[in-house]
Amino acid sequence: MLLIPLIGVGLGVGLGLLLPWEIPITYKSYTALAILAAADAIFGGMRAQLEENFNFSRFMVSFFANAMVAVALAYFGNLIGIDIYMGVVVAFSIRLFNNLTLIREFLIIRYRRHGSEK
Amino acid sequence: MPRRSWVVGVGLVSMLLGMLLVFQFRTETNVKTYLPQFKTVSELGIKWNRMQTDLNKKEEELQKLRQQIQGYNRDAELKSLRMAAGVTPLRGPGVEIILTDATRPLKSYEDPNLFIVHYDQLELLVNELWAAGAEAIAVNGVRLVAQTGFSCAGTTILVGSKKLAPPYVIRAIGDPQTLKAALTIPGGYIESQILPFELGFKIKQEKSLYLPPYKGSSVFTYAEVVPEENEELIIEEEELISGEEERTGAKEGEEL
Repeated sequence: MLLIPLIGVGLGVGLGLLLPWEIPITYKSYTALAILAAADAIFGGMRAQLEENFNFSRFMVSFFANAMVAVALAYFGNLIGIDIYMGVVVAFSIRLFNNLTLIREFLIIRYRRHGSEK
Repeated sequence: MPRRSWVVGVGLVSMLLGMLLVFQFRTETNVKTYLPQFKTVSELGIKWNRMQTDLNKKEEELQKLRQQIQGYNRDAELKSLRMAAGVTPLRGPGVEIILTDATRPLKSYEDPNLFIVHYDQLELLVNELWAAGAEAIAVNGVRLVAQTGFSCAGTTILVGSKKLAPPYVIRAIGDPQTLKAALTIPGGYIESQILPFELGFKIKQEKSLYLPPYKGSSVFTYAEVVPEENEELIIEEEELISGEEERTGAKEGEEL
């Protein structure tokens, strides 16, 4: 179950290396947000799987919605000279850490259960 | 079945993440390699300022050089050089001096050699005129230039390569008042060179004198022109050498 995201990232890196594209320097910070949104979605999905309430359409919609809102906020922040970009990064990071903590707790609980069953 | 949709969803997003990471990494490396590294904006500003002042200096220099080129008049320089070299006939105000041997009959005990015009008297007169600010001088129609010398040749005087005989007519262009005053000053040329020997001397101030050009050749076999850029260097070297010579000369003098 942990292998799926790792394999996905590996495939993505391979594909990225094969493709000749790169991000224009102006959109550099927006890609960073997209990366964070993707990471957030992956950890959220893992957590949902562990909680057994994963829903594919909700997962995809929330990922794209989050990424778009983040990019839009950063763009408007850039327009009016406020670093909303930083706020978005902080928010995503906090969500990331929350999800990681929950995943860890679940795994520990499951491991203990398995141990006691044995 | 949630399991399959989960694999597809998370897998797709993970792939996207991987690709984005690669693209981002690529951009970041390019930025670091192609853009100059400045830690702070102020550093960049300082460099920019320095370059700006440099540029301003260079532009000023360019402006100056352009003005020099505009101000340089080749014809005017050539004309003044030709006037100085004496290769053009000149016209202007000045004085005309007629110098002759003593005319009165000499007594038997008097040395006739004393009562004729000698070459050194002529030379002294010319020197006096130069010193008084004469711009051009001709003796009996022979223009005096930088290479002209006076010498004695029997009963005649050699000016340059021309033999001249009395009466000597000296024409000098310059301020007539000054030239005349320089010769007639007490203790000056007339008192020391003309009156003791009773030579004939007439001076006339002229409004317009004509001086013929120098007719000799000017061939330089040994001398060569020093390029202007090297001039200062060579002068310094020569000063160094002459300084050493003076020092060694002084030593030799002590030893003697």
